[in-house]
Amino acid sequence: MIISRQKEFNNILQMLGEIDIFIIGCGKCAKKQRAGGEPEVLEMKKKLEDAGKNITGWTVLSSACSITSWADVLSQNPGINKADALLVMSCGGGVSVISGFAGKQVYPALDTESLGGVCCNEVVTEQCGMCGDCTIWLYGGICPVIRCAKSLLNGPCGGAVQGKCEVDERLCAWDKIFERLKELGKLENIENIHEPKDHLKTRVKKA
Amino acid sequence: MNFISKLRSGKFIITAEISPPKGTDTSRMLRDAALLKDIADAVNVTDNQRAVMRMSPIAACSILQGKGFETIMHITCRDRNRLALQSELVGASALGIGNVLVMSGDHPSKGDHVGAKPVYDLDSVQLLGMIRELNRGVDLSGNKLDGRTDFCVGAVTNTELNEAGLIKLKKKIKMGVNFLQTQAVFDVEKFSGFMERADEIRSTQSKQIKIIAGIIPLRSERSALFLNKVPGIRVPDDMIKQIKDAKDPEVEGMRITAEIIKKLRTMCDGIHIMPVGNHENTKKLLEMADLI
Ligand code: SF4
Ligand code: SF4
Repeated sequence: MIISRQKEFNNILQMLGEIDIFIIGCGKCAKKQRAGGEPEVLEMKKKLEDAGKNITGWTVLSSACSITSWADVLSQNPGINKADALLVMSCGGGVSVISGFAGKQVYPALDTESLGGVCCNEVVTEQCGMCGDCTIWLYGGICPVIRCAKSLLNGPCGGAVQGKCEVDERLCAWDKIFERLKELGKLENIENIHEPKDHLKTRVKKA
Repeated sequence: MNFISKLRSGKFIITAEISPPKGTDTSRMLRDAALLKDIADAVNVTDNQRAVMRMSPIAACSILQGKGFETIMHITCRDRNRLALQSELVGASALGIGNVLVMSGDHPSKGDHVGAKPVYDLDSVQLLGMIRELNRGVDLSGNKLDGRTDFCVGAVTNTELNEAGLIKLKKKIKMGVNFLQTQAVFDVEKFSGFMERADEIRSTQSKQIKIIAGIIPLRSERSALFLNKVPGIRVPDDMIKQIKDAKDPEVEGMRITAEIIKKLRTMCDGIHIMPVGNHENTKKLLEMADLI
């Protein structure tokens, strides 16, 4: 699941130059995080109207980043053609896909943060840095690329104080990696030298 | 005798840290360096330490070398990708800078450009491996260099290591370092525990690796309390009390530090002095420790 959060309403308002706006929510990740599902879309609609915008309609797509055809979306939502701009309440993936077809200005209502997941209704952030070369198994399923603030692949930086990362409130990922590998009896995984990442693999193959 | 020969000779090494200026005016840096003339075997030049922007260490080292100092250039993984690291190192070598000290580097969020993009394309172990390649005359992609580097290479370590930290230290040693420089030592007994572990690793890897203990001269109760917040540093409570109760805390701090140095002399291969501020007292301190 893509982790995103709503922009400050004031920032959204500053961004939106046009008056006639159509709002698109996302029924997948953004809905799960209560950032772009139906209740949030309706709240956004109200706030924008209070701020003097004209909302030509709204919808919540089953997922904004994966639509069958733009023609379908248009036929079900005639309000889109009446709008000067679209406000999309999804991750950047959804905003990009819709921008590619809409032929008009598209604005993001959310800020996209990381790739995570959800379990037992709890959202877990920063689980994968999308490096294109997955070696998470070497680290007991805890990815240092994203969970270590410095993406260190060969062990901790020595900056942690009482288990807390030097950088922010997070616990040092390397303590967790060590503990997990110990539990699994796989400490030899981190005794080897891990080579630098091949960032060529991150690059998307162009069609 | 250059630094690597001194390391090999078994002499007790004295190094001292200098920060490049924040700006183009080198006078203060040169004043600091002058205080170390004939005292330090080499001066360490920091690389945007604590993620605060300063003159590049390659420029500062080059200026200092021009004045007759041998330098140890710090190089962190924070600000440069593998291309930049290599071109910096090749350039340093061509300028006659023969020693480098490798570290991950404090995160930008700790410094004066908090919004900077951190790089960390390589970690310190990988950077050490890369320098080994440059010393063999090839770059990280295996291309042959026109003229290889010949660095004497150091890495840093905390003296209180958890098990994950110890694994990393082993990897650094495996990458062929010539010396290890430790975080500041205050608790000599704990340090001796560290030395035992380090000796075990040294005996299985390379006995040639020299260990240089970090020294931060204590100045006041406040400075001691502040140091206790720095990762990897712990000033014992009785030491803090000693300073607090002293008539002249600065003199007491020097006395305590000189005692630490005297004890370390038999335990490790050298000391590295990191004064907070300048090197005004460094000569005096070394005299008090009977080192000069
Ligand atoms: S190794 Fe790469 S792909 Fe795998 S979890 Fe980490 S960042 Fe994601
Ligand atoms: S403290 Fe731990 S998580 Fe934070 S940067 Fe250092 S190694 Fe990574």
